[in-house]
Amino acid sequence: MSPCFGVRAAVLRGALRGPVVLHSRTQSGHAAAAGPGLASHPAVVESTEEYAFVERLIPPSRVPAPPKHAGAAPSGWIPPAESPPDLPYMIRRSRMHNIPVYTDLTHGNRKMTLVRKVEGDIWALEKHVKEYLKEVTGKELPTQVNEVTMTLKVKGHYDLELKEWLASRGF
Amino acid sequence: MFRVSVSVVNRSVTKRLVSSFSGDVTLPPNLLLPSNLVDPARLKRPPPPADCPLPLLRKCNSVVPAHLSPLQTWVETLDRLDAEPLGLTELHPDVFAVHPRLDILHSVEKWQRNYKRISHANTKVRSEVRGGGRKPWKQKGSGRARHGSIRSPIWRGGGVSHGPRGPTSYYYMLPMRVRVQGLTVALSSKMAQECLHVVDSLNVPTPDPQHLLELIRHRHWGQSVLIVDVGEEFPENLLQATAALKTVNVIPAIGLNVHSMLKHEALVLTLDTLTFLEDKLLWHNQRYSPLYPYKLPYSDLLQKS
Repeated sequence: MSPCFGVRAAVLRGALRGPVVLHSRTQSGHAAAAGPGLASHPAVVESTEEYAFVERLIPPSRVPAPPKHAGAAPSGWIPPAESPPDLPYMIRRSRMHNIPVYTDLTHGNRKMTLVRKVEGDIWALEKHVKEYLKEVTGKELPTQVNEVTMTLKVKGHYDLELKEWLASRGF
Repeated sequence: MFRVSVSVVNRSVTKRLVSSFSGDVTLPPNLLLPSNLVDPARLKRPPPPADCPLPLLRKCNSVVPAHLSPLQTWVETLDRLDAEPLGLTELHPDVFAVHPRLDILHSVEKWQRNYKRISHANTKVRSEVRGGGRKPWKQKGSGRARHGSIRSPIWRGGGVSHGPRGPTSYYYMLPMRVRVQGLTVALSSKMAQECLHVVDSLNVPTPDPQHLLELIRHRHWGQSVLIVDVGEEFPENLLQATAALKTVNVIPAIGLNVHSMLKHEALVLTLDTLTFLEDKLLWHNQRYSPLYPYKLPYSDLLQKS
C-alpha cells in the first residue's frame, strides 16, 4: 500500500510540476511580449453579446397574425373579410386562422360535418346551410343544432363545400 | 325551451315569479302577493346608458374582435357610503360576455372539489382481518354449514368483500383551456346578473367591519362579497375589516377561481385586476400548444424569476 502510494504521489507531483513549469514559462513569455506595462495576468471577460444567438431560437407563445394577401394565398388560404358580414350570425376563425369546419367519423361509417365557433342566431345559420346544401347536393340533409355549445352538425362529409361557402360569405 | 329565445328580463316582481321555462306570462288568477315584497331589480343601479357624461377611466388594452363591442360598467369607490360612481370602464367581451356554458361551470366546479380529494376510507379484506386461518369445524359430520374460515365475508366480524380499499385519489386535470373558459364563463355570468362591481382602489377609510357591511347593504350588493386585487399587498384597513367578517373575503387575482365566484354573491374587482385578468385569459385564445412547459422562457412571455 505505502510503496504504490509513494509512487502515486511522485507521479502526481510530476504531473503538477509539468503544467506549473509551463505556466511559468508562458507567464514569462507573456511578460516579455506585452512589455513593461502589463504586470498581472489578464482577467476572464464575460461577454453577453453571444446570447443573442440563443435568444433568436426561443419560440414565441402566441400564434402570429397572417401576412396581408390580396385575395387567396398561394396555398389556397382565404383571409377573412375586413369587416364582418352583415348576417345574424358570426363564425370566428380558429386560432390558426382557419374556418372551423371539421369532419367526423364514428362507428366506422357515420360521417358528419361539424361547424364550430358559431355566435349569434344559430338557427338562421342552420337554415342557410340547409338551403345551400340543397342547391349543391339536391338532398335534404339532417342537421343537429347544439345551442349549449353553439355548434352545428350536418350528416355527411361536406367540409370542402361549407368551407368555400363560408369563405365566400366573408367569415 | 331553447327555441323561444326571449330573454325573461326581471323588471317587475310578477315576472320574477314566473317559471323560466315558459316564454309567455300567465299568472294564476288567485295569486296573492305580500305587500312588503321587495323587487331586487329596482334596488340595484341599472347599467350605464350609452350617453353617460362620466369619463371613461379605462379602455380595453387587448384587441376587441370586429363584430363585438366592449361592455361598459360603472367604476365605484369604497370611501363613502352614498358616493356616486366615479366613471366608466370598458370590459373585453371575450372575457365578460362569453356564451353562458353552465356545463363548463359545473365541470370546473366539480373538478375543483374533487381533484384535491383523497378518501382514506379503508376496510379489511378477509385475509387482513385478525385470525381466520384455521377451518372452524370439519367439513362433514358436524351437522353445521361448511366453512373454511371464521373471517369470511358471510360471517359476523369477517372481512368486507367489496369495500373501500385504502386511500383512493380522485385526482384528475381538466384541460387548461376548459379551466380558463370556466373562469370567463363565471365572470360573464356575474356581469350578466349585475353582481360584478368595479372599484378604483381598495382604500377603505376605517378598519371598522361595520362600515363595509353598511356599504354593502346600502348598495344592495348581496349577502357575500369577494374582493379581488392584483398583487399580494392589500391596505391594512381592508385586511382588518375583512378579517372580522365571514361573508366578505379578499383574494389576490391569481387566486380567482370558479368555486369562490359561485360561493360569493357579489364580485368586486379593481381596474388593475381587470387589465391583469383580460391579459391572462385572452392569451389562451391565441397561444400555441406548449412545446415545453410555460414556466420555461418563451420569447414573448416575460418571466419574473
